[in-house]
Amino acid sequence: MAAPLGNLESQLELFIENVRQIRIIVSDFQPQGQNVLNQKIQGLVTGLQEIDKLKSQVQDIHVPLEVFDYIDQGKNPQLYTKDCIDKALTKNEEVKGKIDAYRKFKGNMLSELNRTFPNELAKYRAIRGDE
Amino acid sequence: MMSDQFRGKVEQYSPKSSPRGARSPVVSRQDSTGTLKTTISLGKNPSIVHSGPFYLMKEPPGESELTGARNLMAYYGLEHSYSKFSGKKLKEQLSSFLPNLPGVIDTPGDQDNSSLRSLIDKPPIGGKELLPLTSLQLSGFRLHPGPLPEQYRYINQAPQKKHHKKNKHKNKNKGETPTGLESTIIDIGGADTHEKKHKKQKRHDEEKEARKKRKKEKKRKKQKHSPEHSGGLTPSQHSNS
Repeated sequence: MAAPLGNLESQLELFIENVRQIRIIVSDFQPQGQNVLNQKIQGLVTGLQEIDKLKSQVQDIHVPLEVFDYIDQGKNPQLYTKDCIDKALTKNEEVKGKIDAYRKFKGNMLSELNRTFPNELAKYRAIRGDE
Repeated sequence: MMSDQFRGKVEQYSPKSSPRGARSPVVSRQDSTGTLKTTISLGKNPSIVHSGPFYLMKEPPGESELTGARNLMAYYGLEHSYSKFSGKKLKEQLSSFLPNLPGVIDTPGDQDNSSLRSLIDKPPIGGKELLPLTSLQLSGFRLHPGPLPEQYRYINQAPQKKHHKKNKHKNKNKGETPTGLESTIIDIGGADTHEKKHKKQKRHDEEKEARKKRKKEKKRKKQKHSPEHSGGLTPSQHSNS
């Protein structure tokens, strides 16, 4: 999984670098720079072709849409990962708390029922098994 | 007289006086042994089947192997990621995640119409073959010599960043920069800036040298005048001479 992403990343970096260099060339254009500029523009097309070729390799990579919101707001997308981990951990603890509470409740309930209705509970246990 | 009559009528219907006590008279309760288990099925042929000692007893739900009672972070082997993100404080800006990206990238994307969300909302035209430009098409990119007008010059210009050295090094290693463009790696603004910087650095070095020389001379003079002066050279002077 890492190789296709790595390829795509390096291709995108090359493309961005190419655009950056074009920007430098045109920001103070010199007549002798026309050939270089033409090469760079052709380089853009080649770069796009290369990126397009890598499309098939990253078809099965899914990106959560919420990450885009973070990036669009100029935020570090790792903050999204951090938020997700924090949320998952909180939920995990919450559910574990609930499960523990229900388990305790069941234990208390059975002991109280045993005290009040010993015969019925014995029958219940006989049906349910050793719970 | 009237009230006595009324009381008599009420007591007739009162549950206290009912022969079955407070029980509903409709359903007869034959089972007094405590072995009631009833299955009630509705539909076309409703039926009541007595099959055990408890009402409403259902099969318990099947126990799943994985529940929230388990530490799921450990189960999925994400402890490393957890410690990575919870330990240190992450930098908020996008530029700290993509330090090598040129330009200002920390501003909201909808300001300059560069948001990723807009790519989803309005997908670009795709599916066409990408072909190199012909010489005729390239002639459309023929530019006039000279700098860009002022209003376009500083758009998206990257602010001075701390990691310039790293950037410079990376680019040098890659060797992708065309000749004559190295000067602009530090500042996108133009070649002049770097030249100025070079000059500045040169001047700085010269000043440093001069200062060193002056210091040395001062030291020599001092040694000449000091009573302990033996007329010999310092080890550094030795090596110099």
